[in-house]
Amino acid sequence: MHDVRFAGEDILARQLELAEANYQRLHEKRIRSISVMGAIGSGKTTLIEQAIDRLRRQGLRVGTIAADSAGDDDHRRFLERGAVSVNVNTQDDCHLDAHTVHHALDHLPLEAMDVLFVENVGNLICPADFPLGTDVEIVVISVTEGDDMVRKHPKIFAQTDFVAVNKVDLAAAVGVNPQRIVDDYARVNPHGKVILTSLRSGEGIDALLDLLGLRCTSTQW
Amino acid sequence: MHEYSVVDALISAVLPRLTEHPGRVKTLVLKKGELRILSDRALGNAFEILSHGTRLAGAQLVVEVVPTVVACPACGYRGAAGRLGEADDHFSIPVLACPECTAPVDVVAGRELYVDHVTLSDEPLTDA
Ligand SMILES: Nc1nc2c(ncn2[C@@H]2O[C@H](COP(=O)(O)OP(=O)(O)OP(=O)(O)O)[C@@H](O)[C@H]2O)c(=O)[nH]1
Ligand SMILES: [Mg+2]
Ligand SMILES: [Zn+2]
Ligand SMILES: [Zn+2]
Repeated sequence: MHDVRFAGEDILARQLELAEANYQRLHEKRIRSISVMGAIGSGKTTLIEQAIDRLRRQGLRVGTIAADSAGDDDHRRFLERGAVSVNVNTQDDCHLDAHTVHHALDHLPLEAMDVLFVENVGNLICPADFPLGTDVEIVVISVTEGDDMVRKHPKIFAQTDFVAVNKVDLAAAVGVNPQRIVDDYARVNPHGKVILTSLRSGEGIDALLDLLGLRCTSTQW
Repeated sequence: MHEYSVVDALISAVLPRLTEHPGRVKTLVLKKGELRILSDRALGNAFEILSHGTRLAGAQLVVEVVPTVVACPACGYRGAAGRLGEADDHFSIPVLACPECTAPVDVVAGRELYVDHVTLSDEPLTDA
């Protein structure tokens, strides 16, 4: 018997390099970037739509990368709001990766953008393993998913620094106490920031943008 | 379920290294940071299927979990992450706050995913 030792290079090293390259590129262009993750239908697109409205009113130019398994519905919603957008179909892949974002950036007018939102594929779990190179990552969960989301996926929330607990307007109807989600999250991630939102009506979006560092009136992030 | 693409990358990384090493591959030891969301069972299944018809066919994939190590910029602590849940509980999870002073910490270990080594038997590969 004999062993062949490996140098310990990460299997996903190329992805990590590309994430770092994306990060550098966005910083050179002084673009603040936010990656939005969360289960199917939790409100990711709605969050970005509301953000586009607010940010454009502040005079900021917003770009988006819309990732979906198929179709271009989210992409169209962003265009309608006045963002520049790239549509990415991941087909059977359960998550975006840094390589895909790297190519998507080639199709955006980076010189004429102040903020970038990347909407990941609807999936709470898989995207957590694949950094894209954005400044911040936020997970959107909906009260309609139940009040045990954090307890069921503690490892994900332990590593997520921003959480929006969305659709609180439906909390009473589905018998969920949003505070319970907030408390669970504080236990697994003592430094995490969480905000209760009703994004369809825009409730909580201003506080959320504050939290994400997007309320600066200048573009010198 | 992205274990397939991970195992695909793993096999592509390992095979070229084995060309100068004859012998039957017994085990492949993978180190997985505990913060990664990959399922060991799904990795094993993917390995069994994707190694088919390669020199890794029939080998055993051993996944060894690397515990989380953190460094605290505030007080200089460097060591095991604090944990939530019983210390010897399989389901306890690392907390990314300093166990000494509660400040936010940097992750030093716990997110990696790499091949540590491959064990080959020295019997020649002439049968089959
Ligand atoms: N009641 C209520 N509905 C909401 C709220 N936010 C979003 N919705 C609705 O929930 C549905 C899904 O919202 P999206 O923003 O498309 O969700 P998503 O996370 O982008 O979905 P996928 O991209 O398909 O994963 C839409 O019908 C929204 O109008 C909210 O705060 N309250
Ligand atoms: Mg969407
Ligand atoms: Zn997956
Ligand atoms: Zn400390």
